[in-house]
Amino acid sequence: MTNNFYIEQEMMYSGSLGCRGCGWSMMVRYISDIFGEDTVYVVPACCFSIIAGPYPMNALKNNIVHSLFAASAATASGVRAGLDAQGKNKTQVVVLAGDGGTFDIGLQALSGAAVRNENIVYICNNNGAYMNTGIQSSSATPMGAVTTTEPSVHFKKNNPKDLMAIIKAHQVPYSATASLAFLEDYRMKLQMAKKHYGFRFLMVDGICPPGHKIEPEDAIKVARLAVNSNAFPLFEIVEGKNKINHRPENPIPVTEYLRLQGRFKHLFSTNGNRDNRNSEILEDIQRNVDERWIELGGNIFNI
Amino acid sequence: MTEVQPIQVIKGNTAAAVAAKLCRVKYIPAYPITPQTTIIEEIASMIAKKEMDANMVNMESEHSVFSAALGSSMTGARTFTATSGQGLFYAHEVLHAIAHFRQPIVICNVGRPSIPWNIWADQSDSLSQRDTGWLQFYGESSQEILDSIIQGYKIAEKLSLPVMVVSDAFYQSHTSENVNVPEQELVDSYLPQRKISENTIQVESPKSFGGLVPPEIYDRFNKLHWEAMNIAEEETIQAGKEFSKIFGREYGAVEAVNINQNTKTILVALSTITTTIRGVLAKYPEVGLLKIRLFRPFPVISITEIMKSVSPECRMITIDRNYMGEKEGCVHQEMKRALYGKNFPIYDVYAGVGGKDVPPETIERIINFDFGQNVDPVWIDI
Repeated sequence: MTNNFYIEQEMMYSGSLGCRGCGWSMMVRYISDIFGEDTVYVVPACCFSIIAGPYPMNALKNNIVHSLFAASAATASGVRAGLDAQGKNKTQVVVLAGDGGTFDIGLQALSGAAVRNENIVYICNNNGAYMNTGIQSSSATPMGAVTTTEPSVHFKKNNPKDLMAIIKAHQVPYSATASLAFLEDYRMKLQMAKKHYGFRFLMVDGICPPGHKIEPEDAIKVARLAVNSNAFPLFEIVEGKNKINHRPENPIPVTEYLRLQGRFKHLFSTNGNRDNRNSEILEDIQRNVDERWIELGGNIFNI
Repeated sequence: MTEVQPIQVIKGNTAAAVAAKLCRVKYIPAYPITPQTTIIEEIASMIAKKEMDANMVNMESEHSVFSAALGSSMTGARTFTATSGQGLFYAHEVLHAIAHFRQPIVICNVGRPSIPWNIWADQSDSLSQRDTGWLQFYGESSQEILDSIIQGYKIAEKLSLPVMVVSDAFYQSHTSENVNVPEQELVDSYLPQRKISENTIQVESPKSFGGLVPPEIYDRFNKLHWEAMNIAEEETIQAGKEFSKIFGREYGAVEAVNINQNTKTILVALSTITTTIRGVLAKYPEVGLLKIRLFRPFPVISITEIMKSVSPECRMITIDRNYMGEKEGCVHQEMKRALYGKNFPIYDVYAGVGGKDVPPETIERIINFDFGQNVDPVWIDI
């Protein structure tokens, strides 16, 4: 493992079409650095399908296949099979998808590819909503968040889908979560994903200043708070076992993570105190974070 | 014909599977659906017996089947699959993508309709996909299905367009017939390995496939597709000629039977109904048959040529085994378009929809039907 965060092999051209502070470019710069030249990317409809460049541009020095929204894992399965049929077994096939294309419309194809143990890497940038179409709820949208389809008092009332548990149930060789605030861990997981054979899955905490209503300069800070509050735990699943990669010594209350984001603003009153109605929601969110952390194999005695 | 080819008694679905093998298809993403299922079962069996060197994968849906086919074809691998009815409907979105990614995928669709539930012969599934940018062939016999798949790859790879070969459920898919199964070497000489074109993924020359195309240049892509479609009928005729040199069987975009200046009625039909019509024609010397083999693009050039010899009083009767939510059936609409500016009286008959049998007696009822001044389509035998 290396502590070197430098991009050694820059595979992405300058001039990103991402919003200010968007996590996609940074995320893909590290992915393409580690996966190198011999890689084909499959990108369904998502923010990266725009950032990757409209015709005739290509933000990457690799082949990119823009797939149908519901079909990235199936398209990648076909690309894999076609390459294998020509003896190109070493070429990596990597899906770069958003949470809508992964948790919702693409779930069927994802499940099929995972259970067949297709030799592909699937990386989901989970920013918790359909950000490309302008912040509509997905089944990855966290409880309490407002979106344009669950606005104001109709904010998201239930917990997001536990996709990592679904992936785990498919018994794939390697899956992990990662955060751009923990680059060493992120790079290690990309290396691990590259090293394994078969279906590999990475879920990266998606940074989205316009969607999360945060300042671009706070993006990495918010991502770090997500991990340090256990709202977005860093773990790997290898051979069916959870391995927590980062155990915050003193996990911060989840409210500290939520407070910085405009999408949760309504849960806090203007002076920063909770009103009664919303305090219940905040308690629910904290309870869910704690329960999932324990389920994962963590403990909460130090809270 | 260069040598004697072995005759086998096989079902239409077996013919489709054997054709895929003979075309040295490399990848078959598959999903079961009646009445297509025995095609993929036959392929799986040939692979298991090491008679076929390919990779068949059980997918989770037809949407995924066609998406995987697209991905595979983009790498340059020859790709095949088969489906029916709901499967084709479910893949609708991907059909557009395959056609406009210009991928030369060939499929066999065993036609069946949708709701009310029905699994029998009907062309509503494939005909409703006529505007997805695929070439469509309708086969009359198992032989024609086999031959059309082989020719299909030839045409598809020449034009960078996908080809759908359509057969009739059960009457064809599950009925055994004599089929001349060509030797592998003959097929290899007709259909060499797929050439790797600019449209394929090559690691050495990275490209972006399918990025957003702005309004200023979007039309260019449609026009390029349109230009390829415009020469598809000629390419079909050419591919048929080359085929007959090697295999001895002749194919065009259409087939005219007993059409001349004395013909008083022409029945226009697709697929297995044409065989029934052939049998009836002996009793009716003034009736001809126009068999439409290439449906998309509609073979206007061939039809125009054939109709030159026909008297202007000759009646045209289109037989539609499909329902499109329009007054006239699909074949009728297309024939009217092909005959635009000519004054042949033209009538439409719905027959055999949902798999209802169309026996010789029905064909005779159609021939003898008094349409009078009625221009509305007739539902026969209802």
